[in-house]
Amino acid sequence: MPTLTIDNQPVTVAEGTTIIQAAERLGLVIPHFCYHEALGAAGSCRLCAVRIEKGPLKGIQMACMIPAQDGMVVTTLDPEAVEFRAHVAEWAMTDHPHDCPVCDEGGECQLQEMTIAAGHGTRRFRGLKRTYPNQDLGPFIVQEMNRCIQCYRCVRTYRDYCGGTDYGTFGSRNRVAYGRVTAGRLASPFSGNIIDLCPTGVLTDKTFRFKCRSWDLQEAPSVCPHCSLGCNTLPGARYRELLRVKARVNRAVNGFFICDRGRFGHGYQNHPQRLREPHVDGESVSWNDALAAVHERISQTTEHHGHGTVAFLGSRRATLEANLLLGQWAAATGCTRTVYECHPEFDRIARTVAARLGDQRRSPGDIQRSDFILLIGAEPLAEAPVLALAIRQAKRNGARIVILDPRPPQLPCAFEHLPLTPEQLQLALEQLATKKFKGWTRDESTTLRNLGKDLTAAQNPVIIGAGALLGAAGIERLFDLVDASSPAARPCGVLVPLAGPNSYAAGLLSNGGPDFDDLLDAILNGMVKTLVCLETDPFEDYPQHGRAQSALAQLESLIVLDALPTQTTRHADIVLPTTVPVESDGCYINHEGRLQAFAKVLDPGLSVAVTGGGDHPPRIFEQSAPGNLPRPAWAILAEILKLPTETAALRQQLARTDNRFAALTQIHRAAEGEIVTAIGIPPRPQDDDGAVESSVPGSLQLWPIDTFGGADIFSTYSVHLDPLRDEPYILLADEDAKQRGLTDGAGAVLTSELGHLKVRVRCTATIPAGIAFLPHLLRGATAGFVPGGGALSCTLKSVEGEA
Amino acid sequence: MELLPENQQEFFRSKAAAIAHPRELVIDALRAVQSHHGWVPDEGVTLVAALLGILPIEVEEVATFYDKIFRRPVGKRVIHVCDSICCWTREGEAIFTYLQEKLGIAPGETTTDGVFTLLPTCCLGACGDAPAMMIGLTTYGPLTPQRIDEILAQVRAEVSA
Amino acid sequence: MSPRMSEYPQVLFKNRVPGETVLIDGYRTTGGYTALEKAFKELDPATIRDQVKRANLRGRGGAGFPTGIKWSFFPADQPGEKYLVCNCDEMEPGTYKDRELLKADPHQLIEGVIIAAFALQTPVAYIFIRYAFEDCAANLDRAVAEAAAAGYLGKNILGSGFDCEIHVHRSAGRYILGEETALLNGLEGKRPNPRSKPPFPAVRGLFGQPTTVNNVETLANVPHIINHGAEWFKGLARTLEGAGTKLFGLSGHLERTACFELPVGILLREVVEEVGGGVRGGRTFKACLPGGASTPYLTAAQLDTPLDFEPLEAVGSRFGTAGVTVFDDTTCMVAATLNLIRFFARESCGWCTPCRDGLPVVAWLLDKIEAGKATFDDIDMLKDQFRNISGRSFCALAEGAMGPVAGLLNHFEQELADHVIKGRCPLKKK
Ligand SMILES: Cc1cc2nc3c(=O)[nH]c(=O)nc-3n(C[C@H](O)[C@H](O)[C@H](O)COP(=O)(O)O)c2cc1C
Ligand code: SF4
Ligand code: FES
Repeated sequence: MPTLTIDNQPVTVAEGTTIIQAAERLGLVIPHFCYHEALGAAGSCRLCAVRIEKGPLKGIQMACMIPAQDGMVVTTLDPEAVEFRAHVAEWAMTDHPHDCPVCDEGGECQLQEMTIAAGHGTRRFRGLKRTYPNQDLGPFIVQEMNRCIQCYRCVRTYRDYCGGTDYGTFGSRNRVAYGRVTAGRLASPFSGNIIDLCPTGVLTDKTFRFKCRSWDLQEAPSVCPHCSLGCNTLPGARYRELLRVKARVNRAVNGFFICDRGRFGHGYQNHPQRLREPHVDGESVSWNDALAAVHERISQTTEHHGHGTVAFLGSRRATLEANLLLGQWAAATGCTRTVYECHPEFDRIARTVAARLGDQRRSPGDIQRSDFILLIGAEPLAEAPVLALAIRQAKRNGARIVILDPRPPQLPCAFEHLPLTPEQLQLALEQLATKKFKGWTRDESTTLRNLGKDLTAAQNPVIIGAGALLGAAGIERLFDLVDASSPAARPCGVLVPLAGPNSYAAGLLSNGGPDFDDLLDAILNGMVKTLVCLETDPFEDYPQHGRAQSALAQLESLIVLDALPTQTTRHADIVLPTTVPVESDGCYINHEGRLQAFAKVLDPGLSVAVTGGGDHPPRIFEQSAPGNLPRPAWAILAEILKLPTETAALRQQLARTDNRFAALTQIHRAAEGEIVTAIGIPPRPQDDDGAVESSVPGSLQLWPIDTFGGADIFSTYSVHLDPLRDEPYILLADEDAKQRGLTDGAGAVLTSELGHLKVRVRCTATIPAGIAFLPHLLRGATAGFVPGGGALSCTLKSVEGEA
Repeated sequence: MELLPENQQEFFRSKAAAIAHPRELVIDALRAVQSHHGWVPDEGVTLVAALLGILPIEVEEVATFYDKIFRRPVGKRVIHVCDSICCWTREGEAIFTYLQEKLGIAPGETTTDGVFTLLPTCCLGACGDAPAMMIGLTTYGPLTPQRIDEILAQVRAEVSA
Repeated sequence: MSPRMSEYPQVLFKNRVPGETVLIDGYRTTGGYTALEKAFKELDPATIRDQVKRANLRGRGGAGFPTGIKWSFFPADQPGEKYLVCNCDEMEPGTYKDRELLKADPHQLIEGVIIAAFALQTPVAYIFIRYAFEDCAANLDRAVAEAAAAGYLGKNILGSGFDCEIHVHRSAGRYILGEETALLNGLEGKRPNPRSKPPFPAVRGLFGQPTTVNNVETLANVPHIINHGAEWFKGLARTLEGAGTKLFGLSGHLERTACFELPVGILLREVVEEVGGGVRGGRTFKACLPGGASTPYLTAAQLDTPLDFEPLEAVGSRFGTAGVTVFDDTTCMVAATLNLIRFFARESCGWCTPCRDGLPVVAWLLDKIEAGKATFDDIDMLKDQFRNISGRSFCALAEGAMGPVAGLLNHFEQELADHVIKGRCPLKKK
């Protein structure tokens, strides 16, 4: 741990810390362009010059390139260094178009800040500027190459950090440019990060372009609602519209990065179909009337049918506060059937995770430091995209990545892959734990045996698995394997991406209670007559749509709180419109039990773009904003329960009532969130139906799976992501396709118990024969195929054959 | 026009397969495409990437760095005129002007008959023979207007033969 | 030829016949490959390295780093992949000695490379050769084939158990590839930006493995050192500290602009007046670049400087590549410097700001001064650009670009001022 002096202040830092980082520890920002904490040093911009007065290398040096050494004396204020930094800024600006007034980076431009910090103010160079043509980089990112200062951060972000393969550096001398070989959409699902990492206005957010100056934005720290990782974000809004999302730094979770789903999936907030008014029996009513109606239906139900005939369904995307209040409300009505997840398999998984995770929990930040990552039945790019980015960093740090999965893996880095069928995955989980290998070919068992050994030998192994293919039974086996691979000296880590941003809370809150299958049984048996749904869509999310529909049809009353129209709100008797996450405060607990708060960015309301019909704000005076009726679900519930409807007071109350969530009172101040250490109750044992029934000859085992663009309801309401959503396709083995006379790209009709579906065929050599995958797109053509409900049997015929 | 004859493609494919770092062949492969096709079009970049099993972006990043890889169409022969210091001391500027007048084109342009493209270049390593130029891969110097007339006539004859 | 050429011992050029290339048979008749035989049969790698060190051979690629010391850092005795790379990028204006050597006698380099590879225990050697030297590349291909056929290359050379293969790598332009780490990136097929040092190539070089990079002329000297010994080699120089002969490429306003092998330490005056035949057309010597485009000018006052590393540094310049470019009294030094800066700006790799964006500013200033449109503020700005670019770039390219600017500011300040005062170039005929 060297101690050095910078500008007369001593600082002790870890071995390998560079001068620029050591200075940062002292709160001294040495001007820099190319250095970035996540990307490291390149030494190319030369802006970070300081003088080293004592040390092995004396004189003017680049602070980003020189590791701190004991006894070093550094000054940032040395006249030569100051003069040099001003020159670097002057040089960097020689070709700059000086178009700040029309630049989208204005107000948050590191080039501006650093130019000022470096002391360059007056342009002396009056020669010709070089100019570039711009390249069309697709729907998300605009390029304005003339503003470039060649810090190489974009390529280092896109290629090195994110693993993209279609963006690079061209040319030489003062004609260096960045782009794709040919114009087109950047293919990496992490492309948007180059917007955040570019210190100038070269790469800006196309969806945000010319909508607003950055200083006019309403911004507040937030948490991404699009998966269970809980990446930290900074959404920005203006004129009652969420205009953009940027990554916010959380070194334990997402570092400086988010995925494009989190960044461009924000169109839901201003979606024209947002539920804006309370409805009772299809009629729009006031809040008072709506809440009175709720009260009336619930008391009627209990009066007519007795206590316990009202049931409550919480959810993975409602806040912790709302889910907790739902539980209190349920208890108050004497309900014994409160369920927090309408997908029974995902419910079991969340409970298992909440019960078994403990100290073996791993965040993406931890994953980067792992030396051995074993993925079993996990597809991070779809289920938790930033996890894929963390795995890539581990790989870059030298980790070994092994994937057991029937699908061709999509990771943005190199890996070893063993394509096993879903049944074989279960077997592998079991036998890796017991270390007795049976039922494999000789090669397979050697591979697995070695894998087991390497898992034990690794310093910091992590096992990652997800529910869509493994199911709840598989996740339990996964935890058994984790335990078996955890000698006391060195626990094996585990990471299980869950179904939604607050699934972990749902798993914890279930308290060993019934699941949605039980609830549907109760409805079908007439024991439940009224159901209250909190921001959940059991019509769509429960894997057997038919069973959900027939049960829910028997209800006397269906009361739904939600922000977006769903099948469930369409069937509801009472609809209470809620806000979306950016419109309220709230908390989520991510996949590893990390409780994180997000703050309200903007009030709900129809955006000015809508009310003004494209014109400037309407000129009619109104007391309140149109469309502002949606309220945070927790506020509605708090009012029903006569509790405080103000965040801080409510959180105090909730923390008192349930001390597992004591952190709630402090959480708005915690920079990296707080781990909830309470242990959940595991799901009741279940007959293992892991095996899929053998089916008609010629049929395929069809597994619905998640994809990057179709997995969560919020992003399916975002038009920005449309370019990422494929038309329905089925993924199968080359030989299966061949048998059916199908080729890659051909049209086909898929027939299963869910009917017929037109799909495009994609085939590959890596999938084991006999199984096929169908990407699920919520609200799309494949909506009925819910992942996590096991496999279906299907047949596939070429469209030509049909005709 | 064909980018690269099949036997050469096969040469690169098998060499790439045989060595540990196929990327080291990228300049060789780009130069092969260029010498066969005259210049390297987008398809040439993709072809090189495919032959070596590397990404097109990796090829393009390299191709655009070097000034002797042509990513735009050029004439049948590229004339590189040295504009560095030794040629400059020995009337290199006048020689460059003479070439422009003689060919009727400015630097960077191609003669209407498509035979010559005129480009400036840094020192050709022919400082003792200044002023110098390189046509294709052959260096000529010391140049005088008369020498230039002879050389151009001779190269034109070669090209049309 | 200079009347005194017979006084200069010819080592590297002893076989040179203008317009001809010596092939293996010719090379052997004058003692070619005897050094290799001796090295493989009588010497061990450490002894060879030691001899080169004692000979005080300094790198001929421009930086002049003592080759023996460079080799002593190399983990020759460690097992594993290791490389020797020969740098024949030779793109610095005024430098054409490696070309002359390879045109005349390519086997010298091949023999030197094989001995060096043996000394460093690198089974693979690359010769990196610039685009414009296709004639030399063809010579090398041929020489490599001949050497292999003669059993000097390949497996188990002369029964020593040592294997060696040589690859000739052709480049596609760009001066920066002469910088050794940029060259390694270029060889790997990556963008040829320089790498940051440390780690040095001896630790992490080509493909991440220990690598030594040496210039053509440096390696070509090795067989002669092995044959004749370190003392002999040192004795070739005219200075006490110096060693060996040097290939001098003469250019510019001299009567004879050709490449000559001359003793290290020969006086600049002798080179200009005797070897070069004096300034062309009987004009007066004004200045010269003593060692390529990146070395500060010398003026007539310094004509009696011995051309060797230390004496040239003592007068504020560098030996560089010993490409001597002479300017007569009609030359405008502002215009000459502008030409040089344009070269460096154009050949910048574009990695670091002082070079990529600073050199164009310097070119703009010089252009303005030369056009007679500048003020004294511009001269001050030229000085502050010089002060801030020197020593601050990522690699030595921009540093080298400041060489002539240093010369201009040190020796020709009045000429700069005259441009401003007269509002035109004082040397241009009206
Ligand atoms: C911009 C630049 C260009 C260079 N060009 C060459 C060159 O063309 N040939 C060469 O041998 N060395 C060149 N060098 C020096 C090399 O980096 C390196 O020092 C040299 O090849 C080492 O060989 P030596 O020790 O035998 O001289 C160049 C250096 C720089 C910074
Ligand atoms: S000084 Fe900088 S820009 Fe110039 S060649 Fe070296 S690294 Fe490249
Ligand atoms: S931040 Fe150090 S050189 Fe760019």
